Amino acid sequence: MKKSRIISILSASALVSMVVVGIPSAAHAAGPLCDGKVPINSCQGATSDSAPYVMQVPANFNGTLVLYSHGYRPNVPVPAGIPGYGGYTVTNTPQPGPLVGGKDTSVIAYLLGNGYAIAGSGFARQGWNADSAIATDVELIGAFKAQFPATKHVVAWGESLGGFITQGLAETHPTLVDAVAPMCVADNVGAELTMAGDFLWGVKTLFDPTIKGGNYSAGAAGYAEAMGDLVKFFTVIGKLQAGIATGAWPDTSSATGKALAAAGVPSRSALLLLGLMAGLPTQSAHFDSISGPAGALKVTFPLAISPALAILENGANAGALAVLALSDVENQAGGAIFDNTKTDYAARVASDRVIFNAALSGDTAIDAMLGALSSANPGAPRAVGNAAAIAKMNALQANTGKINVPTITMVGVADPITPAGSSVRIAQAFAQQYADEKAAAFKDYAKTHTYEPPKKDLLSLWSTTPSAYTTFDSNGSPISTTPAAPGTNHCNFTAAQYLVVAKELVTAGTTGSFLGGGTLMNLVRKAKNLSIDPFFDAPLLKYYQQ
Amino acid sequence: MIGINRRRLLVASAVLATGGLVVSTVPAQAFSPHSEVGVTNSAIKLGVTIPLTGAASPGYNKVPSAMKAYFDYVNANGGVNGRKITLVVKDDQYVPTLAVTQTNDLILKDKVFALLAPLGTANVKAVATRVNPGRRGVPVLFVNTGYSGFAVKKTYPTTFTMLPSYIVEAKIMAQYITETYPGKKIGLLYQDDDFGQDALAGFKQAGLSLAVKVPYASGSQGVAGVPATWIQKLSAASPDVVILFGVSSATAAALGTAAVMKYAPKWILGSVGGDATTIKASGVPAGVLYGATGASFLPATTDTTDEYIKLFQSINAKYNNNAVFDNNVLVGMNTAFVTVQAIAAAGQNLTRKGLIAAIEKNGAKFASAGLAPLNYSTTSHVGYNGYWFGTYSPTGDLKPNGGVYTVYTTDSGSGAIVKSTYKRPAMPADGLPTQP
Repeated sequence: MKKSRIISILSASALVSMVVVGIPSAAHAAGPLCDGKVPINSCQGATSDSAPYVMQVPANFNGTLVLYSHGYRPNVPVPAGIPGYGGYTVTNTPQPGPLVGGKDTSVIAYLLGNGYAIAGSGFARQGWNADSAIATDVELIGAFKAQFPATKHVVAWGESLGGFITQGLAETHPTLVDAVAPMCVADNVGAELTMAGDFLWGVKTLFDPTIKGGNYSAGAAGYAEAMGDLVKFFTVIGKLQAGIATGAWPDTSSATGKALAAAGVPSRSALLLLGLMAGLPTQSAHFDSISGPAGALKVTFPLAISPALAILENGANAGALAVLALSDVENQAGGAIFDNTKTDYAARVASDRVIFNAALSGDTAIDAMLGALSSANPGAPRAVGNAAAIAKMNALQANTGKINVPTITMVGVADPITPAGSSVRIAQAFAQQYADEKAAAFKDYAKTHTYEPPKKDLLSLWSTTPSAYTTFDSNGSPISTTPAAPGTNHCNFTAAQYLVVAKELVTAGTTGSFLGGGTLMNLVRKAKNLSIDPFFDAPLLKYYQQ
Repeated sequence: MIGINRRRLLVASAVLATGGLVVSTVPAQAFSPHSEVGVTNSAIKLGVTIPLTGAASPGYNKVPSAMKAYFDYVNANGGVNGRKITLVVKDDQYVPTLAVTQTNDLILKDKVFALLAPLGTANVKAVATRVNPGRRGVPVLFVNTGYSGFAVKKTYPTTFTMLPSYIVEAKIMAQYITETYPGKKIGLLYQDDDFGQDALAGFKQAGLSLAVKVPYASGSQGVAGVPATWIQKLSAASPDVVILFGVSSATAAALGTAAVMKYAPKWILGSVGGDATTIKASGVPAGVLYGATGASFLPATTDTTDEYIKLFQSINAKYNNNAVFDNNVLVGMNTAFVTVQAIAAAGQNLTRKGLIAAIEKNGAKFASAGLAPLNYSTTSHVGYNGYWFGTYSPTGDLKPNGGVYTVYTTDSGSGAIVKSTYKRPAMPADGLPTQP
């Protein structure tokens, strides 16, 4: 497998170069050491867990610190030659703000230019690190305030796992932050790994049973197994891609898969079903499930093929995440943490099987596939987790979605790693919280005759896809070399979209209220591909639908 | 055919895209001073998504213009409670994801008051799931699908069906077949989704024994060679009677292929796929249809003794470019006719909630061309519930057997199939509903 046959798994912010040159880790809290330059005073240091951090403070510092938490970075190196991200080395380089497209510092420049200080840690360990990262952020806030006593407000934001850390910070330490913005926020670890694990299990079960798919050995042996799984996973993804049009199954398919192939079920339908079972979006960077090439495939393509291609693109992200994150969390928890022994995949796709019936090749094919994947089929053995390890995983930081301070969420409606349902879960939790607080306020009114309405402290922004965006060459083949469409891919935001969040964040942090009404509408409209539709809905992660 | 350079995908996924469209955040437009979305003192805006292009569009693409024609007729006669109706039409190509996008646009950009007559089980389901008009309080009037689930008020609180459910149709069809062809061997071609599942449920409920069942995946009727496999499977089982319970393009593919293969059982066509002009437009000679049995809940399109047909034909001539007056045009006009009554019944202070309440309260009494009753109430969002059977003439026109519309009604459950005694309300003068 050549490196060119790759589909990326990681967010732009996760792997790309950082704003600040990395500094050596300290063995204990150190610094900050500031260069005292004007107009930007840059400081470096490390928290007591040896996590390096950076602070940048403009000369016209206005008293508000904007703390950033970066997203998921694998906690193991990925040897060169392994598809996807071969050559990655573990890094804890601190990152003080979002980088548009992985390199554009315009959002950071905006903040500094307007008198806001920024800071961010590289965190002491990579992988799923929410518990330690929250502690690091808490310490970093203290270090900043100590260094810059003029600090009046602290707001925090982050992306992906960094969004989860940010939300966790607000839930566990609400007095330390005045407003937060969890962007493309990850869900709780169990929910995320259920999504990724389901897809990986399905690929293993149908397309390549030699994929281990979790329950990796300890130590070096487990590392080798995981890396081997990555190779196999991307290899089979390549074979599925090659067979999209014809429906051909990979030669590595299991007996269960081959039986489905013999029954006339196209591999693309099986791939789509796996994606729907896992809860992956059916729109991806280049496939909108809407457009078709001119000619005979104008409708057939979006109806029967495009959804599978979308799952192929999105599933590459999910499967790779599954290998890396399962391996990491298994190491932390001490055993297998993915368990689908009780999962009812048929129930999970009850609605989607109607909507994507044509692409799934009809009810007969769907029932055949679900039968093949059912727990009753010995040819599709379920993954059995380790109860103690699962309990340990579930004891990791779990966010409830409680809103303690003004909060802004933003996510792409077709984000394949942190689906929009993660942000919807926060919105739903807040809707209940608001209703409860309103009821309590009414109750108080009976006693005090003073009505204090609860504050609407959640602003949900949805990065939307264009109406249609798949393009085709003159032969009618889809083009997948263009930039990912807005609303797709992981944390795929424009500078303008980040700035909407930034402006709302600092405003809410300093005034306690959002920019609303016409001001918000203008910001959103100018940013493009952004919605504040209060009725926007997306399914929660399948973990919550079991 | 499909080539993807995954190296470029890697690059693409790490690069942020910047172009695109504003999807949903259009500021409040000039639809005040009336407080309801899509309603002014002089206008009401409705929206429909339907396949105007693509393989499924033949026939269905005539529905919106027919609805518009009736609205234009009403508008020319003063509108409804002084308001004129506009209909925003969007092409969904029968692709669910596109239906979602188009419906989002209708609600958020076009700011329609209500959705009208969206077509297709998968599309309506996709919209219900992804756009959720029920949660938004947006009425979804008279969906163009007979899937029985859409009448479940608890799940789809703002949705009203109009077509009899596929279960109802299958139950009544089963009784007709049992009585007309006792002891004969029956075959079935059906769409392999909820549309077909409803049909299977209805046939089972009515006790019809099917010697051979051939499912087809939606969309596969357009794939070269596939219809021939249907006919091979059917003919291998040698049924005397074959039911075609699919969309018109599948009916046309089956009939056309069967004619080529010289396979000629007694054909019985479901109402969805039984529109003769659509079938003929697909290249199937009218003669192939001759003698086949069809079903409908509306009068025959050629029945000029029917006051509704006469009115609709005159409106069609004046406001619809005198389009071929087929079942699609008839369904479109009748849907618009019922819609206008619903809006009128909701009164001067038109709101979405008021519209839904008006249909629940008065809908069962609405006049319409339907020969079976409407069943709307506070607990039911079920439209028509009956069918009559007829035979296709040499020119492909469906005429009632014996020259009389003998309508049978039933429900989507285990209710009995009964000969209807329903007396259709007289058409309001000039086909213009009385307004409060």
